[in-house]
Amino acid sequence: MHNSKAHIWFIAPAIILMIIILIFPLFLAGGISFTDYNLGNKTFEWVGLENYDKMFNRKTYVKMIWATATYVIVVVPISVVLGLCAAMLLNSLRFGADIYKTIFFLPVMATLLAMAIAWEFTLHPTLGIVNSFLANGCGGVREFILGFHWLPWVDSQESWYAVACANNMDFPYWLKQKNTAIWTVCFIGIWQAFGFNMVLYLAGLTSIPRELYQAAEMDGAKSTWEQFKLVTWPMLGPTTLFVVTITTIRTFQVFDTIEILTKGGPSKTTYVMMYAIFEKAIQQNLTSIGAAITVVFIGFILVLTFFQRYVIEKRVHY
Amino acid sequence: MGTISLKNISKSFGSTQVLNNLNVDINDGEFLTLVGPSGCGKSTLLRIIAGLEQQTSGDVLIDNKNVNRVRASERDLAMVFQSYALYPHLTVRRNLETPLRLRDYNAFERLPLIGNFSPSKKEKTESINQLVNKTSETLKISELLDRKPGQLSGGQRQRVALGRAMVREPVAFLMDEPLSNLDAALRVHMRSELSELHNSLKTTFVYVTHDQAEALTMSSRMAVMIDGNLLQLDTPQEVYDNPSSLSVAQFVGSPKINIFKGTSDSSGTVSFLNVNLKRKSSESNTDLHIGIRPEHLEITNESNENTFSGTVAYRENLGSDIFFHVNIEDGSNKIIVRGLPQFTHQISNGSSVNIKRVSDKALLFNQVGMRVQFTNA
Repeated sequence: MHNSKAHIWFIAPAIILMIIILIFPLFLAGGISFTDYNLGNKTFEWVGLENYDKMFNRKTYVKMIWATATYVIVVVPISVVLGLCAAMLLNSLRFGADIYKTIFFLPVMATLLAMAIAWEFTLHPTLGIVNSFLANGCGGVREFILGFHWLPWVDSQESWYAVACANNMDFPYWLKQKNTAIWTVCFIGIWQAFGFNMVLYLAGLTSIPRELYQAAEMDGAKSTWEQFKLVTWPMLGPTTLFVVTITTIRTFQVFDTIEILTKGGPSKTTYVMMYAIFEKAIQQNLTSIGAAITVVFIGFILVLTFFQRYVIEKRVHY
Repeated sequence: MGTISLKNISKSFGSTQVLNNLNVDINDGEFLTLVGPSGCGKSTLLRIIAGLEQQTSGDVLIDNKNVNRVRASERDLAMVFQSYALYPHLTVRRNLETPLRLRDYNAFERLPLIGNFSPSKKEKTESINQLVNKTSETLKISELLDRKPGQLSGGQRQRVALGRAMVREPVAFLMDEPLSNLDAALRVHMRSELSELHNSLKTTFVYVTHDQAEALTMSSRMAVMIDGNLLQLDTPQEVYDNPSSLSVAQFVGSPKINIFKGTSDSSGTVSFLNVNLKRKSSESNTDLHIGIRPEHLEITNESNENTFSGTVAYRENLGSDIFFHVNIEDGSNKIIVRGLPQFTHQISNGSSVNIKRVSDKALLFNQVGMRVQFTNA
């Protein structure tokens, strides 16, 4: 039995496929990143760490790391927390939950390309519905709420909304302006991601035994917050780990919205890694630098996965 | 003090009535068992006492205070759940501490890190530790305090669940079939432990079970519920000897009581099969159900007007007793007779036997299942 070679036949197809389409290209990319090879060249030279040196010293690539980091750090926590809140709200609804589920889940199902184009129209500086909505609200309730005039320390003449109204409806150009572009893209990223997280959390919530809540109630956990701390949050640990991992990997991979809405601009503020790889390696045919970015990208993902696998996983499974 | 009174409690889910105008008074320090077949509403009643479920009508009084509008966490009761419902992410120690922490610490002291700056917290923490240690010693779970529930066996989890209920000295303990997830041997063992615990704590226990043996062995009084009605509330001995109705007689006792079809003549004298009970029923000239428990029948060699005969269909040897499942000759009935092994070991399946009743032990029920008394004459 032990000497049988049959098992090789069973695992060989998967192993061969994995080597051909996953592991070999990975090592190839790793190799290319140490050369000056461009697609189509007949020869190449080893250049050592030059590509990596560029990446960490040239402004473009530093901006790339910043844009990616900002996007991930903003989108992951917000979409996870929003997903959890939405799931808990829906879970407490007696009826109508299905409608909300559908609405929140639509962005996940819809074609990203079409959605991105719709967002482009919505956020258009002059024709877009967002800015016309803001312009029509000057001096009204919208200005009071969105201009944060209700906060005691905001001067109603100096708020961003009041200033824009005063300057001939000078509202942000959202995707075309250095200081708003990345946040706008983040907003769209959250809008896309949180529906999926909500569905995962809904599944997690239904698997919490009701008796635990009743035990908590008998033990004297009176407020919803106490019950959340004592039962909901710890019991959702494995779900949260999964949701955070999935969302992080997906946000690292953001590409479609960037390609359609900003092309990495303005002045590289939304130049995320996936887009950089595409631009360098495909559009500009700088294969070697594209490979170097890819290696760094894979490095990030690997570190993250190992951290979640070996550090956090031990704390969420009981 | 720990008295609980239920006054005219009714509960319906939609159009299904699950509890039907129940009245129960539970005395301080009593071990009261709510017993009945599955779906009789006993768990619902317990949850109404706990405050986890709201009754449709009626009042719940704890220590003579109406608690209809008091939520579960403020009724000062402790509950042991069938599934134990331990917090799986917390160690046993933290599980035991939880009810104390939630009640003794104020909101500020429960905050992580900065809560430790509260001057009174240290003292409270010490008293909590003492209580947890004391409880864990009583239940012999001291060596388990640093483990998590997932690493415990069923019996150990059961003890931890008990400990979590005991640790804060509540007005009463509510237990929802706490032994049903244990194996048979441990269940029997835990019965005696629970009784001892009740004796030493002297707190009111309200215990729900579908197992009539648990009810008979542990309780000071048992309430038999069937189909949302409270049929009888009395001491176990009284319920066993003097069931108020046919359903109670059939539910309590294992093996089940034997029911014969009988009649009373115009003078009230009761007879069944060929046997005359030579006693008079208070209802004359009617059909009756006559209940005789298996231990009140015996297998005999005699054959006279006090015996009837049948064929052994199945012989159930329990070691200390042998129960014979006997088909009676007229084919109307299958009955169970207890035999002592030293006298009956030679009787095998298929043999025909004569059966004699022990006099004065028959119970009479009328056509609708209500108890009928013998007249003394």
